[in-house]
Amino acid sequence: MFGLNKIIPVEPNINFLGLRRNFLIFSILAMLISIVLLSIKGLNLGIDFKGGTLIEVSTKNTSIGELRAILSSSYSDVSLQEFGNENIILIRLQNKSNQESIETVNSVKNLIQDKVVEFRRSEFVGPTISSELLFRGFQAVSFALIAILIYIWLRFEWQFGFGAVVALTHDVLFTLGLLSILNVEFSLATIAAILTIAGYSINDTVVIFDRVRENLRKYKKLELVDLFNLSVNNTLSRTIMTSLTTLLALVSLFIFGGEVIRPFALTMIIGVIIGTYSSVFIAVPTLLIFKFRPQDEDD
Amino acid sequence: MKNYPIWKSFTVISLVLLGIIFAIPSIIYDENSENWFLKNKINLGLDLQGGSYLLLEVQLDVLYKEELDNFVDSARLISRDQAAKIEKIDIQENSVVIFFANNEKIKDIRDSFFQMYRGVTLQINNNILIIKLNDEYRKIIQDSAIKQSLEIVRKRIDESGTKEPLIQRSGKKRILLQLPGVKDPERIKDLLGKTAKLTFHIVDNDNVSALQNNLAPFGKIIVQDMYDENTKYLLDKRAVVGGENLVDAKGSFDQTEGHAVSFRFDTEGAQKFGKVTTNNIGKNLAVVLDGVVITAPRISSAITGGSGIITGNFNAQEASDLAVLLRAGALPAPLEIVEERSVGAGLGADSIAAGQIAAIIGMVLVCVFMILIYGTFGALANVSLIVNLFIIISLLGTIGATLTLPGIAGIVLTIGMAVDANVLIFERIKEESLKQTKVFQIVKNGFDRAMSTILDANITTLIAAVLLFAFGSGPIRGFSITLSLGVIASMFTALMLTNFLVYMYLSFANKKELKL
Repeated sequence: MFGLNKIIPVEPNINFLGLRRNFLIFSILAMLISIVLLSIKGLNLGIDFKGGTLIEVSTKNTSIGELRAILSSSYSDVSLQEFGNENIILIRLQNKSNQESIETVNSVKNLIQDKVVEFRRSEFVGPTISSELLFRGFQAVSFALIAILIYIWLRFEWQFGFGAVVALTHDVLFTLGLLSILNVEFSLATIAAILTIAGYSINDTVVIFDRVRENLRKYKKLELVDLFNLSVNNTLSRTIMTSLTTLLALVSLFIFGGEVIRPFALTMIIGVIIGTYSSVFIAVPTLLIFKFRPQDEDD
Repeated sequence: MKNYPIWKSFTVISLVLLGIIFAIPSIIYDENSENWFLKNKINLGLDLQGGSYLLLEVQLDVLYKEELDNFVDSARLISRDQAAKIEKIDIQENSVVIFFANNEKIKDIRDSFFQMYRGVTLQINNNILIIKLNDEYRKIIQDSAIKQSLEIVRKRIDESGTKEPLIQRSGKKRILLQLPGVKDPERIKDLLGKTAKLTFHIVDNDNVSALQNNLAPFGKIIVQDMYDENTKYLLDKRAVVGGENLVDAKGSFDQTEGHAVSFRFDTEGAQKFGKVTTNNIGKNLAVVLDGVVITAPRISSAITGGSGIITGNFNAQEASDLAVLLRAGALPAPLEIVEERSVGAGLGADSIAAGQIAAIIGMVLVCVFMILIYGTFGALANVSLIVNLFIIISLLGTIGATLTLPGIAGIVLTIGMAVDANVLIFERIKEESLKQTKVFQIVKNGFDRAMSTILDANITTLIAAVLLFAFGSGPIRGFSITLSLGVIASMFTALMLTNFLVYMYLSFANKKELKL
């Protein structure tokens, strides 16, 4: 039998918690910067949440400049963008009343009819719908966080639940901050990505916490810091392996999955990296706040 | 084969076979197959097969306003019968306030009014009668309007030749439409955008001053021409007959007038029409559609046959679309499109192709990685991973779930995450192998110890997926479905299939020691 995993020692002995202060400072800074970015720059809201009209066309024998010239004489708020390659163009228009927007789609189509090979997609989200979608997105994320917290609380002691929620909040904030910097479009699919990241990050955290709980029972005399370090080391190769396979799949999705799915894949990639980091460097050290051994109460 | 129960092998093998067999219909994907087995294939979402999703909102405010107008008209008629003088009528947002000259007849008027409109709230304040549109009354209007609208929308869509449309109520006042394969969403939107309320009115040509002052006397209305907004007509407010009495309408061609719509009334409509045309020879009859006059020809003779044609400046498509609208009937209130997502067939096909490539490459990368890291065990995990994919596909096909573009993303993500359970098991086996030497005991402990972790880890992902399904809409639900199925399938494949494969491998290779 062969296998590179023999390179990774079964019980690596890396002092993860020794550096916890540095990582904590880094993460707190990252979260603060994210909050500032989100309140000043905000997210690049797509039409799902901002409302508006989007038309994707494939063209031939024309350029984005020519189309822009045709459309901007009639619409001052039109914006055009190449999407994947130079023959595919996205046309965006800001929201007006429902009726007006529907008519706009019609007249835009008529204006550029002879330059276009195919109208690949047209989307219109009215003002009432976009605010409803935003509200429901928030609802979904908040309920998911609460439900996960309750589950952790039922399966573990409440201190673990606290650690998990700190890590989750960190992941969501940090990811949103990066999306803001990178100007990634924020859409319904991004909400789905954020929720999946929450699930993934918790998944990672749970595996390590599971080991912490097991070790707490096994090594009653061990210092907590050492015990946590041991638990992280025990699960280290799994943490790395799973993150890598997930990232392999996501990178494939990012590169080959097409233009529409790319923001989703990018958000997930960012989230998986942050989620893995936080499980090791944030969730576990948070447990140190609690100076007692949870299992003492059970015994 | 040591200690591996036969029933367990049997269960694992049959589940795997079922998973593979039921994935076949979706892999072959014969769109028009009527075969009972091949029909169990994945439904492609609108974003993959092309089509239109529309969300329409019934404009209930228009209806409430109309009902308030009806209140006013009825109150006037009742007051006239009772010889009570009305000084002023005030129409507010939710109510009509009628000021009478005195309060002598006000109670009688209230009672007669209540006979006509049961359920409204009536208040008397000395010489003032207040008629209120209360919540229950609104709800009755709302429910019947939505029901009627759904029916009319369904008829119009059927007439337009769209196959397999999905039309359903969504929330309090919305209608959701999914129209697969629609090539020209603009035409559908046109069809839905018209109320198509058709009425016939006698034109009043005598009262010239009313038109000049743009002020209609009681019982009359001023309506403009469809093609020339400066041309106006003074019409009797009461329609002599309306579209509800039509039994048929179709596009036709008239030698002198060009494209037209010919129609036929039912018995009641034919009688009314015959009577009115007999009594009003020489006058004009206006054909009013959605508040504008299409045409107002002179009645030259009585029309008792119950059929006729409407002419206007139509082209062939307009005439046949108007016929569709008239056949389907009028909407009780206008519909407003509040959300539209239309995808062309080209983008859909591109998305499927890109999704397949991403899934295959992701799969190959993960498989190579697993073999590099875990060797033979990695290869066993890869078998589980591939079976996992088959199971997801077969489940999607058999439960009739809809695969969307985010759904494909969910599958690719699952490929990456599904090996997690295997990794957890292998890492446990690795640890156990340091503690003891009995090969089968190592494997058994490895699986047992990993079990609770696998459950905990996957349940949290499932929670997120289920909530996403509950609050998400359209394509995003497709993501939560594939993710949930993927997570569930991966637990089965890791805990049962990988387990089975590892036992088989160790038995047949007759391994005496295990170094992972």
